[in-house]
Amino acid sequence: MSNEQLLALLPFMVLAGASIVVILMIAARLSHTAIQVAGFLMLCFTVLAMGYVRDILPQEILPLFIIDGFAALYTGVIIFSVGVVGLLSYIYFEEREENPKEYYILLFLATLGAAVLTISRHFVSLFLGLEILSVSLYALIAYLRNRNNAIESGLKYLILAALTSAFLLLGMALFYMETGSMEFNAIGQKLAGSDPGVLFKLGLALMVVAIGFKLALVPFHLWAADVYQGAPAPVTAFIATASKVGVFAVLMRFSLAVNLQQSEFLLNVFSGIAIASMILGNILALRQQNIKRLLAYSSIAHLGYLIVAFLPGTREGIEASVFYLFAYAITILSAFGIVTILSTRMKDAEDLSVYRGLFWRKPLLAAVLAVSLFSLAGIPLTAGFFAKFIVLLTGANYNLWLPVIVLVLTSVIGLYYYLRIISTLFASAPAAEPRHKPLHPFFHFVTYATLFVLMVMICVLGVFPGPAIEGIRQFLMIR
Amino acid sequence: MPIERYIFLAIALFCIGIAGVLIRRNAIIVFMCIELMLNAVNLLLVAFSKMHHLKATAANATAGIEGQLFVFFIMVVAAAEVSVGLAIIVMMYRNVHSVDINFLNRLKH
Repeated sequence: MSNEQLLALLPFMVLAGASIVVILMIAARLSHTAIQVAGFLMLCFTVLAMGYVRDILPQEILPLFIIDGFAALYTGVIIFSVGVVGLLSYIYFEEREENPKEYYILLFLATLGAAVLTISRHFVSLFLGLEILSVSLYALIAYLRNRNNAIESGLKYLILAALTSAFLLLGMALFYMETGSMEFNAIGQKLAGSDPGVLFKLGLALMVVAIGFKLALVPFHLWAADVYQGAPAPVTAFIATASKVGVFAVLMRFSLAVNLQQSEFLLNVFSGIAIASMILGNILALRQQNIKRLLAYSSIAHLGYLIVAFLPGTREGIEASVFYLFAYAITILSAFGIVTILSTRMKDAEDLSVYRGLFWRKPLLAAVLAVSLFSLAGIPLTAGFFAKFIVLLTGANYNLWLPVIVLVLTSVIGLYYYLRIISTLFASAPAAEPRHKPLHPFFHFVTYATLFVLMVMICVLGVFPGPAIEGIRQFLMIR
Repeated sequence: MPIERYIFLAIALFCIGIAGVLIRRNAIIVFMCIELMLNAVNLLLVAFSKMHHLKATAANATAGIEGQLFVFFIMVVAAAEVSVGLAIIVMMYRNVHSVDINFLNRLKH
């Protein structure tokens, strides 16, 4: 391995170092605050390292990894999401657990798994990244061990995720039988001229099941609502953003390597999955009274929109998907940030009645939630609108008319339930609850500031998307 | 032995695993069935590895080595998964005094 290759791995080593630093800090009995600050600094170092190595990219580290602009962009979105999740976690866990520290080890390990997914170009690294992510997520979901809901959703996710990793492995084994290789590019070359057998097609179907499960696409979405509801609110935010970004990145890289989009049949399968996700996700969300479950169904629908950008398999498609994921991450993080802040010691703020008249009690929080819901619904002047717009544009350029039409129609259905929450925010307020003094004034300030910044970012991305698109384009040139 | 026999055996083991996950109600047995599925894949990978190795020429003498390497990683990951999984099952037992997965029905609307 040359020096440059080693250097290119620096950001990922810093990320791996973050969890070790946290372990050592716990051994030294340092406080939660110190660990929080150190963790945040390590994430900053990761970003700095990424900027530092930018000039020597792209680097291939045979046979497992490739670090290029594509990986840097997706890793950037993941690190951003985890930074916000980490900031939101302080208040949430300080109030609940005697021992909130080990949470950060698991959080950083899960991040490492998601980041490894973005750079993998081999089945072994794909599988290891996915499992580092999933195994840490099992523990994160069940972290509040005195709550029945958390244990239940943890066990559900555990059984289903382990089952789908077995499916994924069988799919990989059948790919290996056909091609004799586990590298994405080598598989693509072997497949180019040949007509694969029936076992290979079975393997492909199994892999679609596994990826569909991880992205919570219909018909593999059944875990989403339960896990979103039972997991602690910051962990839910992590599942909705970082884990899906990682899995989507590897799906994109794999399908580009094996020219998945060239096959008429597979294109139809994926557009079927996208259409089913958009329709079912939006319809199931209509009658939800629980905001975490509602966001779960809305995330199923949003991943369906994202698959529309995946279908063309071109540069424009990648650009649209990165922008979409970034906008979606900001939006969903601010929505879950509000859920986190409003949660009490006993119960997460998941019932819609908690939000009745929120505007009259806490106008800033209500404004942030309203903006993020507008962005989820795709109202103009928010990031969500522009993200949806470029996805539509890519779909229309490549004549994917059916998914595009379904996208537009289901967005209208979506508008109904987002606006229903917003009208709840402005309803007449119930009797004011007694004010209690916040425990950690500094971290309350930081959390509010983060949410405010996220709100501003949603608006800025919605009004001036040009610089962001330009930045994405420049990173994608590194290949 | 022809490769088909390994494939049949591995797929049969895999299907027994799936059936167990779907039918059994005890969380620990469900977990064992998942392990069975992973080991079926291990068997398959080793068989394919040997198959590709037999076809190898002098130019690429290490052909088919990836499959066997992958098996070690799968074993490690399966062990990690089981340790975290058993910890969660123990916590479940503490809360509801049972490891029956029919008790996992409280999350609703």
